[in-house]
Amino acid sequence: MDEGIECSPSLSTAAGTVNFNRNGESVPDLTGKVHQLPCCIKYDGPTSVAHYFKPKDTGVEIDGLRIEEAYFRGRKLQGTTIPLPQGYSGFVLRKETSAENAKCWEMNAKFQNLSVWNHDGLPSHDDAFMRSFHWFAVSKALHQPASAEDLESILFCMEQE
Amino acid sequence: MGSETGLPKWASEPCIMGIDEAGRGPVLGPMVYGCLYCSVSYQKTLATLNFADSKTLKEEMREELFENLKADESIGWAVDVIDPRELSAKMLKKHKINLNEISHDSAMGLVSKVLNLGVLLTEVYVDTVGDPEKYRIKLSERFPSIKFVVAKKADSLYPVVSGASIVAKVTRDRALRDWVLDETAENINRNFGSGYPGDPGTKSWLDDHKHSVFGFPTLVRFSWGTCTSYSKHLVEVLWEADANDEDGASETTRKRQLKLTNIGFTASKMKTEDITSSGKGRCKFFQSRKLELLSEF
Repeated sequence: MDEGIECSPSLSTAAGTVNFNRNGESVPDLTGKVHQLPCCIKYDGPTSVAHYFKPKDTGVEIDGLRIEEAYFRGRKLQGTTIPLPQGYSGFVLRKETSAENAKCWEMNAKFQNLSVWNHDGLPSHDDAFMRSFHWFAVSKALHQPASAEDLESILFCMEQE
Repeated sequence: MGSETGLPKWASEPCIMGIDEAGRGPVLGPMVYGCLYCSVSYQKTLATLNFADSKTLKEEMREELFENLKADESIGWAVDVIDPRELSAKMLKKHKINLNEISHDSAMGLVSKVLNLGVLLTEVYVDTVGDPEKYRIKLSERFPSIKFVVAKKADSLYPVVSGASIVAKVTRDRALRDWVLDETAENINRNFGSGYPGDPGTKSWLDDHKHSVFGFPTLVRFSWGTCTSYSKHLVEVLWEADANDEDGASETTRKRQLKLTNIGFTASKMKTEDITSSGKGRCKFFQSRKLELLSEF
């Protein structure tokens, strides 16, 4: 997840390059279909999720979180679907197969919310995953450039002294 | 589910009740606890109704007896249908609940339910699960006003338990027959067989319905040993709940494996078998949010 990426055709970091352009092609929107499970599935590839994974709304709401229920491999999962903050999008990336640049990724799909699942526990705002969203606010405060007004108010304060 | 008419007059006389289960052994479908109760004075008539251990009766006979006892105004009954999803989930929880405990809870739930209806239960006959004496003590402590008789093969010894076994068995068979599968994949059929692991029909149904990622449809009890034998056909899935079990057993090897990369002095590539990221080696803000710095991916 990253901010404001849609306007730039690619993003480069030390870790590699992500290509968001796809030559103008539109990518599938997976909103409502992205699930974060509390386990590690040692498989990477397509599978018939919609036929086998059937989340059900319990009708219960706790601290503003709508509780859902699902089962995976015999375990009961309790979860909730959370929207990504305004200005952010989720992306599904795949390593580009051209061997030239091993650290090049392409965007295959995007999403605006995701369902977070716990094994044996109700989802809560205190879950590490939910709290990780705090980083967005901290990051914004750290990286936001000072505006003309910010500078003016400082100047004003200095003049007063 | 149970008898639906208001509280009959005889319920304020001393009553006896039998409790039995159906579908404890099968690898799929619900487990059903059933009970049947009547006044002590009706006991003699009950003995003439030809209830026998449900397993020794043909299906049509059981169905007929169930309809008869439902129509009999001197008899009350109730069932507790435990969903296979609930069975698997409880047995695979972080703090696992075993099948005996689930069975005991279900039986006690039926006793509470009937008592709450206002029935004056004085004697309750139960087919045992686990050690009979320990089970009897557990039941007596919970319901001190009731005399409990806990026995092996109670379903063939006491007509009131035979009756309960018919209630349970017919309910289990109907539940399995009318089961609405959660899964919507096209290649799913309903030839479950009896559900017993040894039944060839059940075996081939399991073979035909295993799924590399999802395991089986949720009708199947994943916590059964039968399912474990299929694990080589399935993609491995690691759970935190299981990882903790192993931690306790191999505390020393775990400590020995504690390398610098593990405590996070060097930003590392996330391992595929990590269930969650850790944020190890970063300040508390990141640790408590499990935000790890990935320098390569």
